[in-house]
Amino acid sequence: MKTVIKTKDLTKIYNSSVAPVKAVNNVSLEFGEGEFTAIVGPSGSGKTTFLNLIGGLDKPTEGQVIIDDTDISNMKESKLFDFRLKNIGFVFQSYNLIPVLTAKENVSFIMLLQNQAKEAMEKRAVEMLEQVGLSDKIDVRPSKLSGGQQQRVAVARALASKPKFVLADEPTANLDTESAFNLLDIMSRLNKEENITLIFSTHDQRVIDRARRIITLVDGAVSKDEAFDR
Amino acid sequence: MKTLIKISWRNIWRNKTRSVVIIVAIVLGLMGGVFGAAMRLALEKQQFEDTIETQISHIQIHHPEFIANPEARFHISDGLEIASDLNKRDDIKVASPRIVFDGMAATANLNAGVRIKGIDTEIEDKTTGLEELIIEGSYLIEEGRIPSIIIGRRLAEKLNTAVGSRMVLTFQDIEGEVINASFRIEGIYSLPSRTFEERKVFVKNTVINEIIGDAKAVSEIAIVINNPDDFRSVASELQNAYPDTRVRHWGDLQPSLYYSLEVLDEALIWILIIVIMAVSFGLLNTILMSILERARELGMLLAIGMKRAKIFSMIVMETTIISLFSGVVGLLMSYGMISILNNTGVPIPGGDGLSELGYASVLYPSLETGFYFQIVVVLVVFAVLASIYPAWKAIRLQPAEAVRQE
Repeated sequence: MKTVIKTKDLTKIYNSSVAPVKAVNNVSLEFGEGEFTAIVGPSGSGKTTFLNLIGGLDKPTEGQVIIDDTDISNMKESKLFDFRLKNIGFVFQSYNLIPVLTAKENVSFIMLLQNQAKEAMEKRAVEMLEQVGLSDKIDVRPSKLSGGQQQRVAVARALASKPKFVLADEPTANLDTESAFNLLDIMSRLNKEENITLIFSTHDQRVIDRARRIITLVDGAVSKDEAFDR
Repeated sequence: MKTLIKISWRNIWRNKTRSVVIIVAIVLGLMGGVFGAAMRLALEKQQFEDTIETQISHIQIHHPEFIANPEARFHISDGLEIASDLNKRDDIKVASPRIVFDGMAATANLNAGVRIKGIDTEIEDKTTGLEELIIEGSYLIEEGRIPSIIIGRRLAEKLNTAVGSRMVLTFQDIEGEVINASFRIEGIYSLPSRTFEERKVFVKNTVINEIIGDAKAVSEIAIVINNPDDFRSVASELQNAYPDTRVRHWGDLQPSLYYSLEVLDEALIWILIIVIMAVSFGLLNTILMSILERARELGMLLAIGMKRAKIFSMIVMETTIISLFSGVVGLLMSYGMISILNNTGVPIPGGDGLSELGYASVLYPSLETGFYFQIVVVLVVFAVLASIYPAWKAIRLQPAEAVRQE
């Protein structure tokens, strides 16, 4: 299995006014193509910080993040923006859709930033919305969608530009059970069918039950790394 | 770009009430500024028409002593030749030679102090348009047995006289001897200035020069120049050309008017700056509020790879669109308002008192089309400047933190 992400001695220290806090402590991990991984752990264990580091949203204090042989740890900001745009999909806890755009426009937006051709972009957006079961909501704005539907649009947006991997920070935290299961079904299917690498940070047992790899963080360090055949 | 404009436009209408409030504020600010500017220009235009063009002209030349002692003996040497030379210059429209001195005007029972102006009727008409100001009777005619005189409406009322009646003028001749001369009132003129109407009387220079004993005496040359904005430079040039005379431009002759227009200019600029700055701060506040509310969304845009420069452009675009939109609406409304007021006129409170000082009591505001565009350009420039701080705030957001903001 091809390695997509590799971290080497990854450490992030926040200098709080009281004492420095090691949010991520010397983490060395590898993520292969097509993995469905859940990063779990109690609040404050460093899940989100770890995701931010491998997503290039934050700089490590020490160590490296290597994505497809590219070290992004000390990459210049302007290059990092391009790198994220081309390689990483994000799904956020609060959906974070652009409220003034329709579902299709939201999905297309990232491809627009990539300067893709209009026709190809629209075709792909419609295709992705069909894949997440929202073919009837293409021209609807986020305010007219339920939380679950909004998160599905966010998933379609994250996958539309065919990123190397998708980072999902607590994607089911704001969803009811039915919406959460629905979303997980879609993400599991896309993971298997399109071999997309998914990395979740989560507390949600429903997500954990689907993951084929579960990494447990405690105080910023890996305490357990388990693989499951699901 | 198209999508950026679309997003910016839709972002503006995300909070309709807030956007409408700022648009109304900009429109009202713009209308206020335009109204002030139009009134200022109307005042200047009417001052020029009422006071400068019809009364004092752009520049006057006198004998230096005449200013303190307006008597016939203080006349300009070679005044007629100087006036003739001036009338040949390209920058001068017309130069009217006059003999001017103070005297007394008397009718059967009443009398009043007056300033007598002996004029060349044809040149004077080109200079002040005196003939058009006649409301009763006619302009000075070829002399008959009794010479003609034109007097102001208020002097006629004060002396209880009318067209066709006789008037006796008493004044000093060139040697200082007191002379009485009888005139027939040929016409009565009217001007907004009460003092001018009460004081100034006009007779033909050929007649009065003969009476005072010097056929060529000229004590005043009133000059109208082709470009009124050049009054300072032309006056200065003439002073150098005729050093034995005293050359004064309308600003020297009417310092109160000159300084009031200067002060008004300065005040108007400050008022416009304050209005536009107030509007810009309102806009800054609106955009800043909107940025703070959209921090999570902006964080998401930064996270997915939208460059900071693009986000900066998007915020500036929103401000530009809102200011342009408000500017165009404000312009159209201002244009409508000025067009209506230009027809109806704007009465000035206490206008009767003003007319005594020679000021118009009703103003007709108007503006050149170019001014409307200039003010919108200034508005947009200020608005774009006002958007820099919110846009800078937006691009300083850290995506990892911003996406998790509540």
